[in-house]
Amino acid sequence: MELTLNEKKLLVALGPMGSADAAVLAEKMDTRREAVVQYANLAGDRGLVDVEKHVARRYVPTEEGRAYIGRGLPERQVLESFEESIPMRDLQGHPLAKIAIGWMRKKGWIAIRDGVVQKSGNTAPGPDEAAFARLAEKGEIADGEGVADLAKRGLVQEEETVAYTVSITPRGRELLSQGLDLREEAGTLTREQILSGEWKSLPLRRYDVTKLPKRAYPGKVHPYQRIIDEMRGILFDMGFEEMSGGIVQSSFWNFDALFQPQDHPAREMQDTFFLGERRPLPAGYERVRDMHEHGGGTSSTGWGGTWSAEKAEQCVLRTHTTSLSIQHLAAHPKPPVRAFCIGRVYRREAIDPTHLAEFEQLEGIVMDEDVNLRHLLGFLKEFYAKMGFEKVRFRPGYFPYTEPSVEPEVYVDGLGWVELGGSGIFRQEVTEPFGIEHPVLAWGLGISRVAMLRLGLRDLRQLYRSDVEWVRETPTYGGRR
Amino acid sequence: MAIITLPYRYLERLAGTDRQTIIDRVPMIGADIERIEEDHVDVEFFPNRPDLYSPEGVARAMRGFLGIEEGLPNYTVRPSGITFSVDPDLAAIRPYLGSAVIRNVSLDEEAIESLMALQEALHWAVGRGRGKVAIGVHDLDTVKPPFRYVASPRNRSFVPLDFEQEMTMDEMLADHPKGRDYAHLVENFDKFPLIVDAENRVLSFPPIINGELTRVTAATKNILLDCTGTDRKAVMTAVNIICTALAEAGATVETVTVEGEEMPTLAPAERVVSVVECSRLLGLSLTPQEMARLLRRMRFGAEPDGASRVRVLVPCYRSDILHDWDIFEDVAIAHGIENFDAALPATSTVAQEHPISAITGAVRSVMTGLGYLEAIPFTLSNDRVLYTNMQREPAPGTLRVLHPISEEQTVVRTDLLPLLMEMLQANKHRELPQRLFAVGDVVVDCVTSQKAAAVSIHPAADFSEAYAAADVLCRELSLSYTVAESADPAFLDGRRGDIVVNGRIVGVFGEIHPAVLGSFDLEHSVAAFALDLTAVSGYPALPDTP
Repeated sequence: MELTLNEKKLLVALGPMGSADAAVLAEKMDTRREAVVQYANLAGDRGLVDVEKHVARRYVPTEEGRAYIGRGLPERQVLESFEESIPMRDLQGHPLAKIAIGWMRKKGWIAIRDGVVQKSGNTAPGPDEAAFARLAEKGEIADGEGVADLAKRGLVQEEETVAYTVSITPRGRELLSQGLDLREEAGTLTREQILSGEWKSLPLRRYDVTKLPKRAYPGKVHPYQRIIDEMRGILFDMGFEEMSGGIVQSSFWNFDALFQPQDHPAREMQDTFFLGERRPLPAGYERVRDMHEHGGGTSSTGWGGTWSAEKAEQCVLRTHTTSLSIQHLAAHPKPPVRAFCIGRVYRREAIDPTHLAEFEQLEGIVMDEDVNLRHLLGFLKEFYAKMGFEKVRFRPGYFPYTEPSVEPEVYVDGLGWVELGGSGIFRQEVTEPFGIEHPVLAWGLGISRVAMLRLGLRDLRQLYRSDVEWVRETPTYGGRR
Repeated sequence: MAIITLPYRYLERLAGTDRQTIIDRVPMIGADIERIEEDHVDVEFFPNRPDLYSPEGVARAMRGFLGIEEGLPNYTVRPSGITFSVDPDLAAIRPYLGSAVIRNVSLDEEAIESLMALQEALHWAVGRGRGKVAIGVHDLDTVKPPFRYVASPRNRSFVPLDFEQEMTMDEMLADHPKGRDYAHLVENFDKFPLIVDAENRVLSFPPIINGELTRVTAATKNILLDCTGTDRKAVMTAVNIICTALAEAGATVETVTVEGEEMPTLAPAERVVSVVECSRLLGLSLTPQEMARLLRRMRFGAEPDGASRVRVLVPCYRSDILHDWDIFEDVAIAHGIENFDAALPATSTVAQEHPISAITGAVRSVMTGLGYLEAIPFTLSNDRVLYTNMQREPAPGTLRVLHPISEEQTVVRTDLLPLLMEMLQANKHRELPQRLFAVGDVVVDCVTSQKAAAVSIHPAADFSEAYAAADVLCRELSLSYTVAESADPAFLDGRRGDIVVNGRIVGVFGEIHPAVLGSFDLEHSVAAFALDLTAVSGYPALPDTP
């Protein structure tokens, strides 16, 4: 049994007395009472001492109570200020009259008739006054008759005192009799102790391994950013180049270049954040205009009608990162292109637990000679498998700028088949105006949904307005759902 | 989104198969099952396929897809002899009119509901909320041809649908529920579109409301269809879809002569497409025969045309076929999307991180090493958080959204520091110290760039802590800088410094001003800094246009 030095000191101090109050021991050991109780509890666990806890309740005067000590309760003071009777008006001049008159009446000491106060003759002190007298004498009183009345009047207040009696047990006495090593135990080893070799003979303080350490919190990358970085890693592994670009886009790049008709509902202010700013159209925009109006040089009919340059100039907060993909392709029209982007996109939606006005979208594009629908499915399968979704299936889909379009679904335990993103091959109406001569496979997904699944969140807002506690407690590795 | 109710019994009768087969297979032509109920299923179809917005249209497609009836559906039209004139004054208001007569309809309550649902779905998908196309169906036997589509004075009155009293068209816009909903489409015109019969009785006030006179009921035997709008192609799409749906249900379609043009023809459009182009796009090796067979399952007329082409007849209701690839997608659907073998191309490419990501990644690495937690705040914010609370003037070039959805989200953030302060406010009840950082996009003058910011809140947070953190981040980003006393009102005077690179202020650090702490409801001092990452060497040139 390895006692701490403090336990040993406690036994030494307690030895001659056998039993003592913790406060007395504290004085003897030149420490605080709380420390003594802590040492005693440790030694108690080893059966060396017994610790008894006594809880005592006592009452001490409040500020008002202290004012009456030595003078008596207000009603007694006022009662004694006059003889058998006194006109009410005169009595009201007494500084304590306000408090006292009510109590004198309540206790039946006086009667008031025709504005005159008359003593009743029955004015003996009650238990409250007896208690107050004891309080005045000793400065405090235990609970007893009359005390509750004083407490109710706010003249005394309860104080709880806890006392500890520590008694040495026979085992403790036996240990003490064998003699104890009272040299100081070393805590942190000093440089001198290490260099001199003194550490060899030092009594080292032992630590209790069953006690939990102080909780430390590391600096951390946000759990959502870790998922984003994991996806970036997967796409790098698959040979993709990363794209980045502006949040503000002209309608031309956000919609028109993607063959979204100018009267498409997504282009109304209910769905999209429009801005007052305008951007000039890029050189060669006429080919996009022609595509909309009559299908340009392709087999397309186009949308018909008249395409408005003015409408295309108006800026929006990008509604998808596809606006960056098409600009990347326009700048790199020759194969092969394999590029991705993870960026924030904006939809004019009222915020609730599952809808936000801004969220991250991932998008990948592959342009190459002879890539086809089977390759699109191949990239999707590979990507989702690396994300941990082993089971993937495909259904026909619809997206305005792809043809064919495919909706991938992944199997999630407990949820079944979940639609996760969209994909397709860019329409020729999209690629042709920019001189892109080979098929472009494209897919995208809202990755905040993936993060929700992974992190077990019910409220998307937690990703962006995070509880610090949640970030601290979310493990950096593992805990994957 | 168009969610179509398909009653099982009606659908089974039309499709010639059982409900389970339909529920199992309909997603594979491109649809999402919304709800499966006792007597019907609700299915969402894509916005490019308005021809599927009725049980008749779905049955037609499913008969082909399931191999029950393939190839082009045949619709014969006879002339009705009825004529329609169009007032030239409508050219600037609502110029186009499509019409047809549909005879021998058998309408029970369910069929009427289904027809109304089709009309509403078409108003949404094709009509763009009735602006582009509005549809009216009338009991033909209550009125007398010939009909006239005219621009009428606004004070003309008649009894609108669901009302008993005559009212003027102006009154309808104010008092009829449909009038209020769609008033914006016509209210700026001096005259309103109106359809009247030979005796000048009103059939309809397009695109607002029909007259009560021609209400379609279970007793209706013959229908007059009117589709009016601003886009001729869209108007005819609506006519074709409604006529062919009713024809599928057993009615016969007759033409109407509109300004000398007999319509509808319900005739298919022809396209000759390349088998090789289709095979290359889909990754299949198709023969003209196979491709034609697959297309017939999608209800196209299709025959091989020589060794490398297929002659395709596109049904009149398929308004989504703009381009040959739209036909190729149908080949893929007929083949079964689930039957494609996934493959990866042989080309090898080299991955490349974006230079901005390299910088933001370095910021994350340094700040987490210093014990800071990352936050990913919203980019949409407001003047109160960004400026008022920070005691700062609104930054020039602050981007404001035109129609914000709430007062909380009116501007795009120009700085990250205020959002971190807001984050501290939200986490006020959590254990201190809290050290947070963020790195991400900000927008000024429409140009997106990146900033980093950090805050540290605890009773001993001070200028020295802020300076040390800002200094280490700059050093780790190889950013040489000098410091000058700052005038940033978000920080305490005498305890704030500007980070200066090449004479430009690119950051600020110090102790947050107590009044700012008060605005964010914080009770301890905050050491903070912000840094514009465009100052870091290797940051790519900002694009001049978004």
